[in-house]
Amino acid sequence: MAQVDFVNVDKSYGSFRAVKDVSFTVGDGEFVALVGPSGCGKTTTLNLIAGLLDLTGGEIRVSGKVINDLDPKDRDIAMVFQNYALYPNKTVAQNLGFPLRMRKVAKAEIKDKVEEAARLLDITHLLDRYPRELSGGQQQRVALGRALVRDPQVFLMDEPLSNLDAKLRVQMRAELKRFHQDLNATVIYVTHDQLEAMTMADKMAVMSGGVLQQYDAPERVFEEPANLFVASFVGSPAMNLLPATRVERDGTVFATGEGWELTLSDRNGAAARRSETDAIILGARHSSLALHETETSGAIPARIYTVEPTGDLTYAHVEVGDKTFVISVPPDRRIAADQPVWIGFDQNKLHLFDAKTEQRIAQD
Amino acid sequence: MNSRFRITRWHVMGWIFLATLLFFAVAPMVWMLITSFKSQFAALKYPPELIPQNPNLEQYERLLSPKNDVGRQFLRYMLNSIWVSTATTVFGVAVAVPAAYAFARFRFPGRKALFFSVLFRNMFPAVVFLMPLFIMMRWMGLVNTYTSLIITYLTFGLPLSIWLLKGFYDNIPVELEQAARIDGCTRFQAFYMVVMPLSAPGIIATAIYSFITAWNEYVYALTFLNDDEKLTLPVGLQRFFAEYATNWPGLMAASFIMSVPVVVMFLILQKYFVRALTEGAVKA
Amino acid sequence: MSKTHRSEPSTRGFFGRIADHRLDYLYILPALGVMMLVIAYPIYYTVYLSFFRTPPSLAMQDKIFNGIDNYITILTAESFHEVTINTMVWTFWSTFMAMILGLGAALVLNREFVGRGVLRGLLLIPYVISAVAASYIWRWIYHSDFGVLGAILLQLGLIDDKLNLLDNVDLVLPSLIVVNVWKEFPFAMIMILAGLQTVPDQLLNAARVDGAGAFERFRHVTLPHLKGVLVITVLLLFVANLNHFTIPWIMTGGGPAGASDIWITQIYQIAFGRIRFGIASAYSVILFGVMVVIGYFYVKALTGDDDRRHG
Repeated sequence: MAQVDFVNVDKSYGSFRAVKDVSFTVGDGEFVALVGPSGCGKTTTLNLIAGLLDLTGGEIRVSGKVINDLDPKDRDIAMVFQNYALYPNKTVAQNLGFPLRMRKVAKAEIKDKVEEAARLLDITHLLDRYPRELSGGQQQRVALGRALVRDPQVFLMDEPLSNLDAKLRVQMRAELKRFHQDLNATVIYVTHDQLEAMTMADKMAVMSGGVLQQYDAPERVFEEPANLFVASFVGSPAMNLLPATRVERDGTVFATGEGWELTLSDRNGAAARRSETDAIILGARHSSLALHETETSGAIPARIYTVEPTGDLTYAHVEVGDKTFVISVPPDRRIAADQPVWIGFDQNKLHLFDAKTEQRIAQD
Repeated sequence: MNSRFRITRWHVMGWIFLATLLFFAVAPMVWMLITSFKSQFAALKYPPELIPQNPNLEQYERLLSPKNDVGRQFLRYMLNSIWVSTATTVFGVAVAVPAAYAFARFRFPGRKALFFSVLFRNMFPAVVFLMPLFIMMRWMGLVNTYTSLIITYLTFGLPLSIWLLKGFYDNIPVELEQAARIDGCTRFQAFYMVVMPLSAPGIIATAIYSFITAWNEYVYALTFLNDDEKLTLPVGLQRFFAEYATNWPGLMAASFIMSVPVVVMFLILQKYFVRALTEGAVKA
Repeated sequence: MSKTHRSEPSTRGFFGRIADHRLDYLYILPALGVMMLVIAYPIYYTVYLSFFRTPPSLAMQDKIFNGIDNYITILTAESFHEVTINTMVWTFWSTFMAMILGLGAALVLNREFVGRGVLRGLLLIPYVISAVAASYIWRWIYHSDFGVLGAILLQLGLIDDKLNLLDNVDLVLPSLIVVNVWKEFPFAMIMILAGLQTVPDQLLNAARVDGAGAFERFRHVTLPHLKGVLVITVLLLFVANLNHFTIPWIMTGGGPAGASDIWITQIYQIAFGRIRFGIASAYSVILFGVMVVIGYFYVKALTGDDDRRHG
C-alpha cells in the first residue's frame, strides 16, 4: 500500500479548467472520499490518478514516485467502475484472472488467487457464469474482486455503489468499509453522495468547480464546514442558511433581517465582528433549532409551510421571510401548515459565514 | 387482449397478399431449378413441362466436372470469383475496423465531415465511376488484374461497414477499454482482446455484405477483365453460356450454382445481414 | 502515446488541433485513401473529361478541348428525350412498386406467427442472388417461344397468341420493371420491417385504448413513426434504380429500338460501345447532378437522425 500525493494538480480541456491547482495527500492505508456535485472535477481527478487522462500541470506521486507519464498499466493501481466494466465475453473467473494474465502470472497462481478473491467476496459459486447472468450486486462484487486479485498499491473507485438499489447499497457500503479495514488498503473513492462519503471515509475531499473546497475528516467537515458550499453540500437535510445584517448596539452584536432580530452570544458576536462587511450568513443544522408555538425571547417569528413525517423524526418546513428552513422535531409534536411559530437557536451550534467571501468565520 | 387474437378482415387480406407475394418471389427460382433438371431437348418442348418427365443431373455433372471444357471453364470462373470476393472481404474488414473505431471514439477535427463524406458514397452506385476508373486502371496498368476489381469492390462495402461498425463501437462502453488498460493492457491489446471480440457480430455482418456484393458484381468485372481465363462468374456466365442461348437448362444450372454460396451464407447468417442492411437508417 | 483518447479541444486553433490528433487520422487513412482513389478522383476526372473530345484509342494526351459541345450533343440528340422518359418511368415505377410490396410484406411480417423467420428468409432471396442470374431466369420465363409465363397465360385463355414481351416496344419496359421490383422489394421490406420494430408498443396500445382501429393505428401511429425510414429507403432505391445497369443490359441491351434504354445503359454504350468517353462523361455529369441533389436529401435525412440521437 502506498501514500498518494497531489501537488498543484491542474487539468484543462482547452480553455476550460476542470481541475484547478488541487493539492492533498492520501496517507498510506487511508480511505479518502472525493465528493461533490456532478461536474465538480472529482471523476477527472480519479482518471488523472488512473492515467486515463493526462495532467496539464502539477504532479501526482505514488509512494513518492512521480507517475505523471506512466501508462495506466504501469501504475500499479486498480479501479472499480461505476458500471463495473466487466468483460461481457469472459466468465467471472476469466474476468477476475484477466489482470494477472496480462501480467504474465503463472496459470496455477492465477487460479489460486482467483479462488481466494472469490472466497473473500463470497462469489465462488458464480465463477463459471457470464456477467449478464449476474445481479447488480453480484457484478459489483466481481468488479471489486478484479481489483482485489492484483494487490495493487492504490484502489480507485468511481461511484461503485450508485447503480445498486437502496437496500443493497447500504449493505455494500458496510462491506466495503469492512473490506478496507481488513486489507488496510489505500482507497480513493469518488461519490456524489455525501452520506456515502461521511459513513465510509477516513477523510473527505469536497470539490466544487474544479477546486478543492475542504479536505478533512468527515466529522470535522460536518461540524466546521470551510465555506457556504461545503455547509450546504454536506449533511442531509442541508444546513439552513439565513442571510442577515450585523448590527452593534451598546457593545452587543445583533443579527437582523426583515421582521426579526437575534442577539448573538459573546462568542458569536466576536466572530461576526470579523466579517469583512455587515453582511453575514447564519447557518444552523435542522437538529440545532427549536420550534416554539408561542412567542419566545431569542426566537425569530416564522410560519409552518408543510410537515413531513418520516417515522422516527418529523421535518417541519418553515418560512422565514422568503427563506425556507427545515427543522426536525419529535414525531409526536402536533403542528400544522400555516401555523405561526418561533424558531429558537442553539448559539453553541450556530455557524457564521462572511457573505462576501462565503468563508466560514471561525469562532474561538 | 382479445382483439389481438381475433381474425379480422385485415388479417385475411394480409395473408392473401403475403401468399401472392411469396409465389411471386419464389416461383422464378423454382422454375430455374426445374429447368436445370431437364435435358436441353426437353426444355424446348411446347408447352413446357411444369414437372420434368426425365429429371436428370446432366447439366450439373457437366458444369462441375473438370474433365470437359465447359466444366473446366466454369470451375475456373468459380475459383476466380472466390478469390476476388475473399480478398475484398478480408481487406474490407481490415480497413473498415480501424476507421469505424476512430469515428466512434476519437474527436479529431473534421470527424463529422469525413464520416458523412464516406456515407455519401452510398449514394453513388458503381456505374457512374466506371469510365474514369477504367482510364485510371489502364494508366496504372491494372486493367485485366484482380487488383483493379478488389480496390473498386472495397469501396462498395466500406461506407456500410464503417457505419455499421461505428454503431457497434458506440455501444461498447469506453470503461471496458479503460478497465483493460488498468488491468495491464496496452492500448492495442485493449482493443484486440476486449473490443474486437465484442464487435464480432458487426464484423461478420460487414464481411458477408462485402462478400455477397463482390460475388454478384457484374459491370466492373465486365469492363476491367478481358482475359477469358480471368473472368468472374457473372461475366463468365454471360460470355460463355448465354452466347449459345439455346442451352437454357445449362444456363439455369449455372445460375443456380452461382446463387448457392450467397444464399446459403445469407440464410445461415440472415440476422447479421439484415442488421447490416438496416443499421443506420433505422435506429431506435 | 496516450494522446489520443481525449475529447478536449486544444487552445491551439484548427491546425494545432489537427496536429494534436495526428495519430487519430492513422486509423481512417486506409479507408480514406481508398475512397479518395476510387471516388474523389473519378468525380474530378469525369467533370474534366466532359469538356473534351476523346480519341477512340483512349490515348488521353490526344484529347481536344471542345467546351460544352458534348453537353449540346447530348441534349439535342433525338434519342435523349425518349431515354430520359424511359429513365423516369423505370426509376419511378420500380421504386414505387418495390415500396408498396415491401410495405405490405413488412406489415404482415411484423405480426408474430410460427415460421415468420423462414418466410422472411424466402422473401429475401431474390435480393441476395446476382442480378445476372436474375436476368437470365426472367429472360427464360419471358422467352417468346418456350417461356413458361406465356404458356400458362395462353392455357388459361388470358391471351390468344404467343406472349412476346421483350421484343415489344410497349411491353418491354414494364416487363423489366417487374424483374427489378422482384429483385429489390425485399430491400424495402427489410428496411420497413426494421422500422416497424421500433414503433413503441405502448403507443399502439394507447391508440387502441383511445378507440383507434387497425387502420387508424397504422395511419396515426405507425406511419408517422416510419417516416424517416421510408424517406431513406425511397432515396436509396431511387438512386439504385437510376443506376441500375445489369438487368436492362443483359435482358434487352436497351432494345428493341431503344425502348428499354435508360441513361446508364446509354452511357455505357457511348463509352464502351462507341468509345466516346468525352460525351459519356458529360452524360455522367448530368446523371451525377441529379444524384447529388438526391444525395443531399439522403445525408440530411441521416444526419437529422444522428442529431436527434446525440442531442
